[in-house]
Amino acid sequence: MAKILGIDLGTTNSAMAIVEGGEPRVLENSEGVRTTPSIVAINKSGERLGGLLAKRQGVVNPKNTIYSMKRLIGRKFTDEEVKRDKEWLTYDIRQSEKGGTEIHMGDKWYTPEEISAMVLQKLKADAEAKLGEKIDEAVITVPAYFDDSERQATKNAGEIAGFKVRRILNEPTAAALAYGLNKQKNEKIVVYDFGGGTFDISILEVGDDTVEVKATGGDTHLGGDDFDKRIIEYLVQEYKKQEGIDLSKDTLALQRLKEAAERAKHELSTVTETEINLPYVTSDASGPKHFLMKLTRAKLENLVQDLIDRSIALVKEAVTAPTPKGAGLALSDINEVILVGGQIRMPAIEEAVKNLFGKEPHKGINPDEVVAIGAAVQAGILQGDVKDILLLDVTPLTLSIETLGNVATPMIQKNTTIPTSKTQVFSTAADNQTSVEVHIGQGERPMMQDNKTLARFILDGIPPSPRGVPQVEVTFDIDANGILTVSAKDKASGKEQSVRIEASTSLSKEEVERLKKEAAEHATEDEKKKELIEMRNQAEALVYTAEKSLRDLGDKVTEDMKKDITEKITRLNEVKQGDDKEAIKSASTDLSTALQKIGESLYNKNNGPESSPQPESGNNQ
Amino acid sequence: MEEEIKKEESADLEARLLEAERLRDEYLDGWKRAKADLSNYKKEEVERMEYFVKRSNEALLHDLIVILDSFELGLSAMREDDSSKKGMTLVRNQLYDTMKKYGLEVIQIQKGDPFNPEIAEAIGEIEAEGPPGSIAEEVTKGYALHGKTMRPTRVMLIKTKNE
Repeated sequence: MAKILGIDLGTTNSAMAIVEGGEPRVLENSEGVRTTPSIVAINKSGERLGGLLAKRQGVVNPKNTIYSMKRLIGRKFTDEEVKRDKEWLTYDIRQSEKGGTEIHMGDKWYTPEEISAMVLQKLKADAEAKLGEKIDEAVITVPAYFDDSERQATKNAGEIAGFKVRRILNEPTAAALAYGLNKQKNEKIVVYDFGGGTFDISILEVGDDTVEVKATGGDTHLGGDDFDKRIIEYLVQEYKKQEGIDLSKDTLALQRLKEAAERAKHELSTVTETEINLPYVTSDASGPKHFLMKLTRAKLENLVQDLIDRSIALVKEAVTAPTPKGAGLALSDINEVILVGGQIRMPAIEEAVKNLFGKEPHKGINPDEVVAIGAAVQAGILQGDVKDILLLDVTPLTLSIETLGNVATPMIQKNTTIPTSKTQVFSTAADNQTSVEVHIGQGERPMMQDNKTLARFILDGIPPSPRGVPQVEVTFDIDANGILTVSAKDKASGKEQSVRIEASTSLSKEEVERLKKEAAEHATEDEKKKELIEMRNQAEALVYTAEKSLRDLGDKVTEDMKKDITEKITRLNEVKQGDDKEAIKSASTDLSTALQKIGESLYNKNNGPESSPQPESGNNQ
Repeated sequence: MEEEIKKEESADLEARLLEAERLRDEYLDGWKRAKADLSNYKKEEVERMEYFVKRSNEALLHDLIVILDSFELGLSAMREDDSSKKGMTLVRNQLYDTMKKYGLEVIQIQKGDPFNPEIAEAIGEIEAEGPPGSIAEEVTKGYALHGKTMRPTRVMLIKTKNE
C-alpha cells in the first residue's frame, strides 16, 4: 500500500517522516540530513536548486535565493506583516493581480505557492529515492494561527508539487499526536514551540477524538537564531576588550566564531561550563592571535534571559487573556505542556516553562522532528483505514527451562514477537539417568525457584548412558494466540513428551510489572547466586571426570597419585555444597592440577625412558 | 420439505465455504506479506549495518575537522624559513593519511573552477581575474566522507563585473 508522507513545512527548515510497520520514521534527504532548509534558488546559469544546495550559494546570490516563504504564503501584499518582512528580505516581492504577493526569482515572478511547491518537490523526490517507491499523498503541517487563505495556499503548494494533500494539520496538534495525547479526554494542552526563527504558542483542547485550538500566540520574529546572535555579540565584545581586535569585520573569523557559538550553546545544554578555543583566529603586527574563552551556562542564561522572559510573558498572555485574544484560562487549568523546537533543549527554558505551569513538560521526542513525526502519525491514521495491519503480540516475560542447579535457562526472551519457536538440545546430569524432568518457568530471575512455574513433565525411557551423552531436544513454541507448547524428545530412542500451556501470556499487567520489578531489585544478588551455582556445576563436572579417570586408568597411575586425587575429590565434594566461592575455586584448581599429572605420567610411560622429560611448568622457553 | 432442508444446508455450506475461502486468501496474503516483510527487513538490515559501519566514525571525524582547520591556519601563519614548519606539515599529513583510511578526503577545488554547491559553500565575492561566478579562492578546506560531502569547501567567488 502506498505510503503517505508527513511533512513539517517550516519557515527555516522542513522535515519529513512516514509510518512504517506502525512506527513513525524520519526520512533523511538526499544529502543524508534529517532536516532540509526551506530554501530554493536559481543560480547564475539558470539552474534551480533546493534545500542545502540553495543555502550554500545564498550569500552570493541573495536576489535569487528565496527563503521564509511561510511568512508570505496566503497573505495579502498589504498585510502589516508582509510590509515589515519586505524591509529585510533580500529578494524582490510585489503585489500580484489578485492582491497577494509575488516573488522575483531568476527572470520570472512566482507565487509563494509555487516557491513552497519547489521545497515540497525536493522533499518528495528525496523521500521517493529513499523509499524506492512513488509517494503521491501527504499530510502537511501549518501553524495553528494560519487562516483559511494561508491553509488553502499551503494545500495548493502541495498539489503543485504533485501531492494529493490528505490533510492540512496544525503543528501543535501534530506535536500532541506525536506524544499520543490525542487520546486524552477533556484535556487542555499548551504547545510551546521555540524554533530557529519563530516562537509559537498554542492552547489546545482535546475532546472526544477532536483537537480544538483554543488560542494562539507568540512572536514570528523570535527564535533560536537570536540566542546565537547574543552569544556571538558577547564573544566579539569580550575579544575586543582583551585584544583590541574587532572579529566581526573578519569573514572567516566570524564564521568560525558562529560555529563555535552554536557548539557552545549545544554543549551548555548538558554541561555547566565550556571552553571556546579557536587557535589562529586572526593576526596582527605582533603575529597570530588566538581565541580562548570560558563560557558558563549561567553567563549564557544571563545573556538571553530577557528573550526567555519574553517567551514566558507571551505564554501567560495566550493562556490567561480573555477570548478571543487568549484562551481565557487559568495557568492551573492546563493539563499538559509540550515543548517543541530546537531551542527548548536549553535547560533554562525548560525550567521556566516548568515553573510557570508547575508540571513536567513533555520533551522526549527530538524537538526538531516532533512535528514531522506527528504529521506521519496522522498519515498513518489515514493509511490505517485500509485494514492491512496485523497486530502482533509479544511475550511479556522470559520463558525458561530449569537446568542443573535450579538455573532458569531462557528459551524465549521477553518482548519476542509471537508466533515464534525455539529449539535447544540438553543432556543428562548423571550417569545412567533414564528420565529428565522438564520444568517450565516464566520470569526474569536467573534461578528457577524465583520464577513462576508454568508446568512440569517427565520424559523417560532414555537409554542408560554416561552423563552428557543423551541428546534431549526441547522445543518451545508459542502460537499467535499465546498458547505455549513445550515438547521434549530423546534423539536416541525417539521418545517424545509434550505439554500445552494455555495461559503463558495471560498474566495480568500488574503481575507482569511485579515480576519485572522483582527481577530488577534482585539483579545483583541473583547474579551472585547464579555464579555460585555455575561454579558448583563446574566442580561437579570436574569430580565426575576425576572419578571416571581413576576408574578407567586406575591401573596406570601410582598409588600416591590415586590417593592425592581421591583426597582432592573429597575436599571438593565437601566445599562445593557450601557458599564459599573462593574455596570451591581453589579446590577445583587443585583437583584439576592433580588430574593433569595423570596425563603427564601416562605420557611419560608411553614414550618410555628415552623421551626427554617435560618441564613442570612454562620454563622451557 | 426434506429437499428444502437440504437446499438450506447446502446454501449454508456454500456460504461457509466461501467465507473459509475468503479467510484463507486473507491469511495467505497476510502470511506472504509477513514473509516478504521479514525478507525485506533482512536485506535492509544488511544495508543498515553497512551504513553504520561506514558512518560510525562520522561524529569523531566531524569534530576532528575543526582541529584540522586550526592546524591549517597555524601552518599558514608560520614563516617559510621556520624550521618547525616542515615537521608540522608532516604531522598534518600524517593526520590526513589516517583520516583517509577512514574514508575522509579533502575536497579538491582549484581557483577558476566553476562553483558547485554540492561540494562548496560561497561565503562572499571578491574581484579577481577569471570567469565571474567561478572560484576565486578557497577559504576553508572541505571534506568528503566516502565520497559524500561532509563539510563543503568554503570559497570566495569572482565578482560579476556589472554588480
